Amino acid sequence: MNLITDLQNSAPEAALAIIGLAAVLIGAIVGEGSRLLIRTIAVAALAGAAVLAAQQYGSGRLEAFGALYVATPFVAFAKIGLYALAAISLLVSGKSLKEAAVDRYEYPLLILFAALGGGVMLSANSLMTLYLGVETLSLPSYVLAAFRRDHVRSAEAGLKYFVLGALASGLLLYGCSLVYGFTGSASYDVIAEADLSIGLTFGMVLIIIGLAFKASAAPLHVWTPDVYAGAPTPVVTFFATAPKLAAVAVFANVMFSAFNGHETDWSPIIAIIAALSMIIGSLGALTQSSLKRLLAYSSIANVGFALIGLAAGVEVGASAILVYMAIYVVGTLGLFVGLLTIRKDGEPLDTIDDLNGLAKAKPLVAFGMTVLIFSVAGIPPAAGFWGKLAVFQAGLEADLLWLVLVGVVASVISLGYYLRVVWAMMVKPSDSTLDRSDWVEVAAVVGASVAVFPVLTITIQSLLDAAASATLG
Amino acid sequence: MELTLNHYVGLSALLFTIGVFGIFVNRKNVIVILMAIELILLSVNINLVAFSVFNGDIAGQIFAMFVLTVAAAEAAVGLAILVVYFRTRGAIAVEDVNVLRG
Amino acid sequence: MISQEAIALIIVFAPAIAAAIAGLGQRVLGDRGAMAVTTAVVVTAALLAAYQFLAHVFGDHEGGAHGHTVVIANWLSVGNFIADWAVRIDTLSVVMMFVVTSVSALVHIYSISYMEHDPHRARFFAYLSLFTFAMLMLVTADNFIQMFFGWEGVGLASYLLIGFWYKKPSANSAAIKAFVVNRVGDFGFALGIMAIVLVVQAPAEMLDGAGAVSAAYLQQLGVAEFSSLRFETAFAVIEQNALVQPVGFSGALPIQDVALDFLGLHVDALELIGVLLFIGAMGKSAQFILHTWLPDAMEGPTPVSALIHAATMVTAGVFLVCRASYLYEHTVFAANMITIIGAITCFFAATVGLAQNDIKRVVAYSTCSQLGYMFFAAGIGAYQAAMFHLFTHAFFKALLFLSAGAVIHGLHDEQDMRKMGGLRRKMPIAWAMMLIGTLALTGVGIPAVEGLHIGFAGFFSKDAIIESAYASPDQFGPMAFWLGVGAALLTSFYSWRLMIMTFHGPTRAKQEYYDHAHDAPWIMTIPLALLAVGAVFAGGVFYDAFVEHYQAEFWGDAIYTASENHVLHDRHYVPTWVLIAPAAAWITGLVLAIIFYGLLPRIPPAIGESGGPLHSFLSRKWYFDEIYNFVFVRGAALLGDLFWKVGDKTLIDGGGPNAAAAISKATGSGVSRLHTGYLFHYALVILLTVVAFGAVVIWSMVS
Repeated sequence: MNLITDLQNSAPEAALAIIGLAAVLIGAIVGEGSRLLIRTIAVAALAGAAVLAAQQYGSGRLEAFGALYVATPFVAFAKIGLYALAAISLLVSGKSLKEAAVDRYEYPLLILFAALGGGVMLSANSLMTLYLGVETLSLPSYVLAAFRRDHVRSAEAGLKYFVLGALASGLLLYGCSLVYGFTGSASYDVIAEADLSIGLTFGMVLIIIGLAFKASAAPLHVWTPDVYAGAPTPVVTFFATAPKLAAVAVFANVMFSAFNGHETDWSPIIAIIAALSMIIGSLGALTQSSLKRLLAYSSIANVGFALIGLAAGVEVGASAILVYMAIYVVGTLGLFVGLLTIRKDGEPLDTIDDLNGLAKAKPLVAFGMTVLIFSVAGIPPAAGFWGKLAVFQAGLEADLLWLVLVGVVASVISLGYYLRVVWAMMVKPSDSTLDRSDWVEVAAVVGASVAVFPVLTITIQSLLDAAASATLG
Repeated sequence: MELTLNHYVGLSALLFTIGVFGIFVNRKNVIVILMAIELILLSVNINLVAFSVFNGDIAGQIFAMFVLTVAAAEAAVGLAILVVYFRTRGAIAVEDVNVLRG
Repeated sequence: MISQEAIALIIVFAPAIAAAIAGLGQRVLGDRGAMAVTTAVVVTAALLAAYQFLAHVFGDHEGGAHGHTVVIANWLSVGNFIADWAVRIDTLSVVMMFVVTSVSALVHIYSISYMEHDPHRARFFAYLSLFTFAMLMLVTADNFIQMFFGWEGVGLASYLLIGFWYKKPSANSAAIKAFVVNRVGDFGFALGIMAIVLVVQAPAEMLDGAGAVSAAYLQQLGVAEFSSLRFETAFAVIEQNALVQPVGFSGALPIQDVALDFLGLHVDALELIGVLLFIGAMGKSAQFILHTWLPDAMEGPTPVSALIHAATMVTAGVFLVCRASYLYEHTVFAANMITIIGAITCFFAATVGLAQNDIKRVVAYSTCSQLGYMFFAAGIGAYQAAMFHLFTHAFFKALLFLSAGAVIHGLHDEQDMRKMGGLRRKMPIAWAMMLIGTLALTGVGIPAVEGLHIGFAGFFSKDAIIESAYASPDQFGPMAFWLGVGAALLTSFYSWRLMIMTFHGPTRAKQEYYDHAHDAPWIMTIPLALLAVGAVFAGGVFYDAFVEHYQAEFWGDAIYTASENHVLHDRHYVPTWVLIAPAAAWITGLVLAIIFYGLLPRIPPAIGESGGPLHSFLSRKWYFDEIYNFVFVRGAALLGDLFWKVGDKTLIDGGGPNAAAAISKATGSGVSRLHTGYLFHYALVILLTVVAFGAVVIWSMVS
């Protein structure tokens, strides 16, 4: 096994790491003048990584670095989404960063490295790689949350994210050490063969908790509303999409590959997490007035829906998770970009009341956001409905009727706040004038809405097929 | 008395518990939280090295090296964020970190 | 030379395209553009339809006209539930295409001037063209489903046009009334279609292994493909009394012997289908019991009344019955029901027409009454006479409406005849047109002279119907005959009453309105003149083709007449007094009208003011609206209130959604309050989760 083959097999991450490090050098040498160059490089690198991940998707199981790194079609599918979303969220954030006076050359690099971390943890085939990936994703994320240094809310968001994230990493790591000790290896393949012991079980619980924290599933979601509310909106646009997709996919990947033999042990815990997420997410969002907070709770609920697929087990649930998350993150991306366009005098606005009269002021954005909300809420015929249907079907096939019922109730409750947003945009009159929006932002909202309806609705079957072949492969 | 694996794991569990408690019992100073996090990572390292030795598998020790590296990076990032926070808020009492809530 | 099929396709689809262009592109085109496009297209369609019709009438039809179908696209195809988008070309559809497009074209032209000052003209013209398209879809359908599509399409267009002046509450409620009353009929129609699908099923032994209908059965029926919805198949099955195996039946039996359970009754399937289809026809054609929407529909602009509520849409029911002649020739009960309802409507509507003062309402009740004539003609088996009357009626009734429109237009939008009078000097053209229309409606002509065809359009068609009714061996034939003659008298009376009250005598209009009264501009006069030509000549010219010597060749297989039905022939052998009776009726009516309204004009208002029971009975339209209001509207409102206030708001909303919403909201704010913002609380939550999940797995391992 030589280095060249290893790098080839891990091409997306290898390329990102090399380009990212080179860009750090450029930035350090040239300084702030290299902002645009580095942004371009980062977007191009992420887009290139998405293409490379697509190649991985087509090449079956690839191993590198002594099987510490393994790319299966399942993770490659998630990585395509991860890198593409990271590139798009970077692309659309330009204007609002500039207005918030935080348009610095570190920003694209932090996103790039966070995405790299997501890719590494997805492709991990060992607890060690997993941990490194998780930390590579987390450390830039902490910084990103606090990126608006002069802003108390942003700084507090960063601090909270850091402290709780470090605690969660610690729990994850402690779980890793227990699993390593009781199975004698950090490799997923060996762990999957190991007999059940109390140490392994407890380690597994800790790992589940650490991963659930990253995916912001209840009751480990506690950081999410505060961080979303405090961090700058472009950053949240990134948090809510690329790492979210990666975290849920990693969660599924670890459960399905390392702990596949112990499904009966972890499935009930995942089911509890899913149910709590759906209930807390739906209820918590009802009384929010801040849109970012509302979307944070909404994302908690949606992770809960996706986890129904995880609770259902590998055969029926894996493809449902991928489909659900893919559709959900596209919708969320569009919604957050829509939120980016709501500025007044350069300051981002955030409450539902600020959306009043948006249909008049920015009809394209308002219409796009309405379509996206319908998709995220799972109203047919938007794509979100088919995603929800897929996870519910998986849940039913796995005899998790109670969980599906909780999901249905949560969906109904969630309509309460989704429709409140639509109502504000479409019906309520406006009393203030908003800043002009960047065409890239409007294009992203419209593009995302076209993607969730009609494009994904029409091609839903091929998406389902692709996800199904990814999990079988 | 001979040191067995149980002693190491017990010590590690103790340190881990102290670390976790350090995070949520302490209400005064964020610096203490950073130290508690270091304690958690330390406990993990003890675990890893002990398992590595007793299982005769070198991977655990390599893992520990990585954890050390990450811990250093984490401390750096943590302190940097703390500095940013102190600049905007003028305090680092844990009880004061609640602008964001609900 | 383009083919016959191509012409038919252009006729049907050109209005649809025009409606789409005018409706969607009105911002670009502007009002004038929209008017120009729709009018030009519909006039073109009308010219093509006229060519098609005249070629059919005067062309070579010795061999008998065989209907054929142009399939455009397959629509539904589930087993033998097959329906296509198709254009069926046979005599019935050719006649209807001509009537629909020609009246529509004239109404389009008329509206250019009539709607001159309306700000939403483009929308109006788009609706008109949309209506024309839907009506053409209805009449050219080759299956029941497409017919239903057109049926609902005209209903929609009618709703939109009645409520065109949507700011007028009365127009809105009239539109809703028309829509709701039509739903009752449409429900019957839909049930009828379902019954057809249920009954017309190929027998099991006629199916090959794959479940398709065998070639032998198809050959026996003489159809290419078996589809219970196609007219071709369904009518062939009925005509040949073929073996069928209705859904749920275990064996095959001839279709005329099939009996179904419906509403607890064991009834003959064909009778049931016939009655259900006729209920649909009653709704659309405003027949007795379901007639109440038609007079209210006069709230729409007058050109709409002329096109939809006189000449075309309301005759769809008659068309349906004639189209289904294959069915009604084999039913007794259903056919009798048509005769009875038609005869009652014809007389009832005429009596109500006596006491109306709104000029448009008089004409509306007259329409209702004339539709009754058509129905009882069809009921006794004289479908050809019914179609003939439909054809002539379209011209003179459109003429009457448009003339009434010209009067209203010229008199400051006044519709009350009590505030008219003496307008002949001010509006000579409108007077002449109205006179021609009245002469045609009352059926003026020279009767009882063999071979001499002199008379206005209505004379030929109405007399053909009345004679047929007398000659009919049907048990309800005599009733229809007497009611028809009586209605002819009443028709004459109220028509001349309208003429006299509007145009003669001293004026009762406000002096300033009267002074400014004027004839309509030339662009409104042209359609009137053309319709007048139709009202004068449509009867005599086409008499032979529709109901006389050539009728068998002319209709071909479009209308089926059973071998024992020779009512059209028998009507030549009625006594002479029967031929003279209608003429006597209209003369009596004319004389009475002159006496009461010309010579003794004080008597009628006195009768009206005295408030006698008969007068109020008639002027309140036999109290139908009041009864319906009391029984259905108030009852439904009370029931609705009960369900809404007690059932829905208190029980369901209060216990369900509202309670759930309140609980959700309360828990939601609770969840929100749990997020205290303190790091140590969050950390505690995480730690408690660790403990809880650890406990869960350990407990599950132990147990």
